[in-house]
Amino acid sequence: MQTAALRVFCHWSQSNSTAMIRQCLKCRALTLQQSSRAYGVIPPPRDSEEKEMVHRMLRVDHAGEYGANRIYAGQMAVLGRSKTGPFIQEMWDQEKKHLEKFNEILAENRVRPTALLPFWNIAGFVLGASSALLGKEGAMACTVAVEESITEHYNNQIRTLMEKDPERYTELLQVIKEFRDDEMEHHDTGLEHDAENVPGYWLLKNAIQLGCKAAIYISQRI
Amino acid sequence: MKLLIIAPFSSIIESSVKHRCSLLSEYIYVVAAPTTTNPQCGSLRRGFHCAVLRLQDESKSDKPPSSTSSSTTYHEHYQAHSAEQDAAASASDPAADQSTDPNASYQDQSGEQDEEYETEEQLQARILTAALEFVPLHGWSMEAIAAGAESLGLSSASTGMFEKGSGDLVLHFIAQCNAQLTEILAEQHNQVQLGQAEPKKTADFIRDAVETRLRMYIPYIEIWPQAMSLLLLPHNIPDSLKHLSTLMDDIWYYAGDRSTDMNWYTKRAALTGIYNTTELVMIQDSSPDFQDTWTFLDNRIQDVVNMATTAKQVQSTGEAVVQGLMGAAVTLKNLTGLNQRR
Repeated sequence: MQTAALRVFCHWSQSNSTAMIRQCLKCRALTLQQSSRAYGVIPPPRDSEEKEMVHRMLRVDHAGEYGANRIYAGQMAVLGRSKTGPFIQEMWDQEKKHLEKFNEILAENRVRPTALLPFWNIAGFVLGASSALLGKEGAMACTVAVEESITEHYNNQIRTLMEKDPERYTELLQVIKEFRDDEMEHHDTGLEHDAENVPGYWLLKNAIQLGCKAAIYISQRI
Repeated sequence: MKLLIIAPFSSIIESSVKHRCSLLSEYIYVVAAPTTTNPQCGSLRRGFHCAVLRLQDESKSDKPPSSTSSSTTYHEHYQAHSAEQDAAASASDPAADQSTDPNASYQDQSGEQDEEYETEEQLQARILTAALEFVPLHGWSMEAIAAGAESLGLSSASTGMFEKGSGDLVLHFIAQCNAQLTEILAEQHNQVQLGQAEPKKTADFIRDAVETRLRMYIPYIEIWPQAMSLLLLPHNIPDSLKHLSTLMDDIWYYAGDRSTDMNWYTKRAALTGIYNTTELVMIQDSSPDFQDTWTFLDNRIQDVVNMATTAKQVQSTGEAVVQGLMGAAVTLKNLTGLNQRR
């Protein structure tokens, strides 16, 4: 409730733009930050620049988890009843948990989700299904490629946040680190299950990673 | 409280600086002329603003003038100031202004210092708020802003501060209305959370929020079409869209929307449609207390609710059909013996 009231004041001050209120807000924001850290993953933004940056990061992370969710759904649709089914299902469940967490964070902080969600919905499913049609190795190669991209992306975000202010973003860093470790696990699982045996592994992997980079770039902006 | 800049009969006119005053008036002409939307002009004005403050300060303490009385060196002095301000003011953040301005004293709550310096944004806000009183008389125009400035004791030449002219006045009014609405909605939200009020149904909440917001236009409803046309001018469109989108986001947030998928966009788009059409109905409504407008609003909200219900029904029907087809396909595969485990 206090966060909501603070958010209201933030918006109010943006419209009225009285410096006095902004100053009061800063004091309040600092005290709130120290007293109620346990309740929010994101600290109340100090200015619109920081808000923009954090919202952009959350938006692209949410889009990434959403896409990963759909990729695994596509793979399960094809390989669900084969013997790799359980492994894919396990990874899918973890991605579902990630998506849930990001949904929570977005709703709490009034972050706009990316407008391209329907596109990632279809593109993810098609990617998952078509890679699975290449067989179990194809699906694993797709997993390896995607998880590597996502890990790199999370590492970049961790680096950015650490450079800015590690103490301020402790909770967010914790969440991102945890998710990054999960993704690395998926990457290793993919490698264990003969991802490299698919014909054209190098081509497939690089094509998918290029697509992921483009997706991350676009989702940060739209 | 000492006011700044273009106060015509302020203490700038002291005997020791009378010669500077004549130079100053030249610069008032320069700056008050309609400027381009060059960002440098903004910082130039800020520099001028701070230069005038410094001037005031110097005149008060009766220090000997640091520059000679020739206009060229004063211009250099002024340029040096503006360069300084350019370096100091990295963003157009008034807080940054305050912190870099060595004379900033608004942090001092005890009021020991008798000069209060306000930022340009604060001054603009004050002038525009004062100008709103003159809008029924002069319309949304520079005359209203000039009258507002004069009512605060400033020169009517201060209208030169407003790049977008009367668009600034309309945008300020809209921002004010949005802020008021957000306050009201937050208050209601708190009441519900404290258990002192019942949560409203979404459709009722939206209806009340839009009605409250549109009622704020009633004092200006005769001249509101002029304001709407001003908002459609190309240089005003980005700001008016930003205000509109923030307003829609706020209303939906307090209505309880926490969606993180395409619903986020469809809900806000639907509400924008409802709001804009209701506004249009309102400006030509002549019924008592705008009853026709509120009836129209009710009907539009009902339409959206019906559409949402229909969409849900179509989706569930579609899912049922897909299930049926899958069942039929599996049966067929079983019959033909294709459904063997690999």
